[in-house]
Amino acid sequence: MDVRKRNHVKVQGSKPTAIVFAHGFGCDQNMWRFLVPHFSDRYTTVAFDLVGSGQSDLQAYDYAKYDNLQGYADDLLEIIDAVCSGPVIFVGHSVSAMIGLLAGIKAPDRFESHVMIGPSPCYINDGDYVGGFSRADIDGLLDTMESNYLGWSSNMAPAIMGAPERPELGIELTNSFCRTDPEIAKHFARTTFLSDNRSDLPNLLAPTLVIQCSDDLIAPRSVGDYMQRVLPRGTLRVIENIGHCPHLSSPGACVDAIDEFLRTPGA
Amino acid sequence: MSSAAAGHRDKQALFDHAPCGLAVTGEDGTFRIVNSTFCEWLGYDDSALVDRLRIQDLLSMGGRIFHQTHWAPLLQMQGSIAELKLDLLHRDGRFLPMIVNIVRRRVDAVVQHELAVFVAEDRHRYERELLAARKRAEELLRKEREAQQALAAAQVALDLQRVTAEDRAMFAEQMVGIVSHDLRNPVAAIQLGAVLVGQGELSARQRRGLDSIVSSAGRCQGLIEDLLDFTQARIGRGLSVKPQPFDLHESIARAVESLQGLFPGRRLVHVARGAGACVADEDRLAQLLGNLVSNAMTYGDPGEPVTVTTAGGPDTIELAVHNHGQPIAPDVLPTLFEAMTRGQPDDDPQAAASGHSVGLGLFIVREIARAHRGEVRVESAAETGTRFTVVLPRHAG
Repeated sequence: MDVRKRNHVKVQGSKPTAIVFAHGFGCDQNMWRFLVPHFSDRYTTVAFDLVGSGQSDLQAYDYAKYDNLQGYADDLLEIIDAVCSGPVIFVGHSVSAMIGLLAGIKAPDRFESHVMIGPSPCYINDGDYVGGFSRADIDGLLDTMESNYLGWSSNMAPAIMGAPERPELGIELTNSFCRTDPEIAKHFARTTFLSDNRSDLPNLLAPTLVIQCSDDLIAPRSVGDYMQRVLPRGTLRVIENIGHCPHLSSPGACVDAIDEFLRTPGA
Repeated sequence: MSSAAAGHRDKQALFDHAPCGLAVTGEDGTFRIVNSTFCEWLGYDDSALVDRLRIQDLLSMGGRIFHQTHWAPLLQMQGSIAELKLDLLHRDGRFLPMIVNIVRRRVDAVVQHELAVFVAEDRHRYERELLAARKRAEELLRKEREAQQALAAAQVALDLQRVTAEDRAMFAEQMVGIVSHDLRNPVAAIQLGAVLVGQGELSARQRRGLDSIVSSAGRCQGLIEDLLDFTQARIGRGLSVKPQPFDLHESIARAVESLQGLFPGRRLVHVARGAGACVADEDRLAQLLGNLVSNAMTYGDPGEPVTVTTAGGPDTIELAVHNHGQPIAPDVLPTLFEAMTRGQPDDDPQAAASGHSVGLGLFIVREIARAHRGEVRVESAAETGTRFTVVLPRHAG
C-alpha cells in the first residue's frame, strides 16, 4: 500500500528536521496553508489528509480500523516512517492532537515534541471534568449529521461573487476544500466526539505545547487547564482568538507561540 | 426630492424588504445589521438581535459544531460560502431550514460577514424524502443480496441432494441388474424341473398345477429379461443387437401367430406391405412386437382387433401396432417411453390384471429401436385409436 497516496502526503523541502501537520475534524491539509510558509525555511514540512478526509483514498476507509483514534495514530506512524528520517515535531489540530498523543506514546523515539492546537482529550463533561458538551449535545450533533445529510455533504463552494478577501485562491482549489463523504463524516464525528484520552495524557513524555483559544466552543478554557495539569511536560499558551481554528484566523499568534516553544531548551 | 435621494431610499427599502433575509455580523458572529425579512422569518425584533445575539445562538448544538469545524474555517480560507444549508432557531423554539450565502468582507479594517438567507422548507422536505427513499433503496438492496445468498446456498444444498439421489438411483439400478441376473438360473431350473415332471404320469389336478407353474415361470423369465435389458440400457452401453438378413413380413407373421396363442378370445391381425427384406436383430424385433402387442391387448378395446402392420419403404422398414379404445392421456405422452411410465392410471384394473406392471415395456421398445438407429412414435386419439410405429433403416447392420 502506498502511504503517500493513501493520505495524500505532501512533503516540502529537505531540512534535517521535519514538522508534520495533521488537520482536525471537518477539513483537510488546506487548513495549514497560512502556517506552513513560516516554517518551510527552517524545516521540512509534511502535511497530509486523514483517511476519509480531503483527497485521501476513500477506498482505504475501514470502518473497523477508524472506529477509534488508534487506527489514525498507526497511519501517522506509517507516514512518519515513510517520509521522515529523524524524530519529528508534530503539530496536530483538534482531534489530530490526540492522534499524535497516541502515536507519541506508541513510538516515543519518533517525536521530538508535540504542538497541540485546540486539543480536547474528552468532549463530554464527566464529574469535575468540563469538556464543554453533554452526551445529549453530542447525540444532537450526530442527529444533525443524519437529518441535514445534504448540508454536511455539500462542498460549500465559495459564493458566486468570488472571494474578495482571497483573490489568490482559484475556484478549482476552493471547490476541493474539505470535501467530505457524509457517511464517513458521520463515523469520524462519532469516533472523534466520543473519544476519551484523558488517561493517556500522563504517558506522553515529550515536551508539548498546548495552544488554546480565548473563545473556543469545541475546546473551552477548562480543557486547556486540565491538559496543562495532567501532561508531564505540557506548556499552555492561550491566544486571543474566537473560534476553533486559530491557525486560520490568527496564524501570526500561532507562529509566535510555536517559535517560542521551539526555541525553549528541551523542546 | 432629488433623484439620487429617491434612489437611495429605494435601495434602503429593497434592503429592508428584500425577498430574502439579509444580515451583517462581526467576525465573532454578533449581529450588526438585520433586515425586516430576516427578523420576520425568525420571529425576532431588530433590537433583540443586533449587538445582543450571535448567529451561533440561533444554531442547535450540532449546528454550532458544524459551524466551528466546517464553515467558519472554510469562510476564512475561501472568503465566501454558497448554498450552506442550516437550521436556524425561530424565537418560538422551532427550527427553520435555511439556505445561506455568506461573504467575508473587510470594511475599514474590520472583518464582517454578510449573510443572505432563504427559507427552504420545500427543499428540506424534498431532501428528507430523497434520504428516506435512499434508505429504503439501500434496505431493499440489502434484502435482495440476502435473498440471493440464500438462493445460492439452497442451490448448493440442492446440488448435493441431487448428487446423493443420483448415487442412490445408480446403486438401485445396479442392484436390479444383479438380482435379475441371479434370478435367471433358479427360474431356468424351475422351468426345466416342470418339463421333467410334465413327462411323467399326472392327474388332471396335478396337470393344472404344473401348467400354472410353467406359465408363471415364463412370466418371471419375461420380467427378468425386461429388467436385464433395462439395466443394460440405463447403466451399460445400451441394448446390444445382432443384425442378420431376414424377411420382416415372414418373421413378424410367425411372431404374430405365436402371440395369438397368448391372447385367446382376442383378434390379432397382421397386414404386410412392400418389400420385407431387411438386416436387423430378428429376436429383438420379436421382443419389441411382443411388448407392443401386450400393451395393445392390455389397454385396447377387447371387442376390437389389434392390427400389426409391417411395411417396406425405399430405405426403411416399419412395424406398427394399432388398437381401438381409450386414448393415452396427453400429459403422459412426453414421458411415455421412459422407464416406470404407464399410459393409464396405476389403479387401472386391466393393467393390474395383465401382471405386466413394471413399466419397462415401452422403454425397451424405444431402446431396441435406438439400437437399430431407428425411432418409435405414437399417435393416440379417441376416434382413431392408438398406433405405435417403429421405423428402422432397412439395413441396420
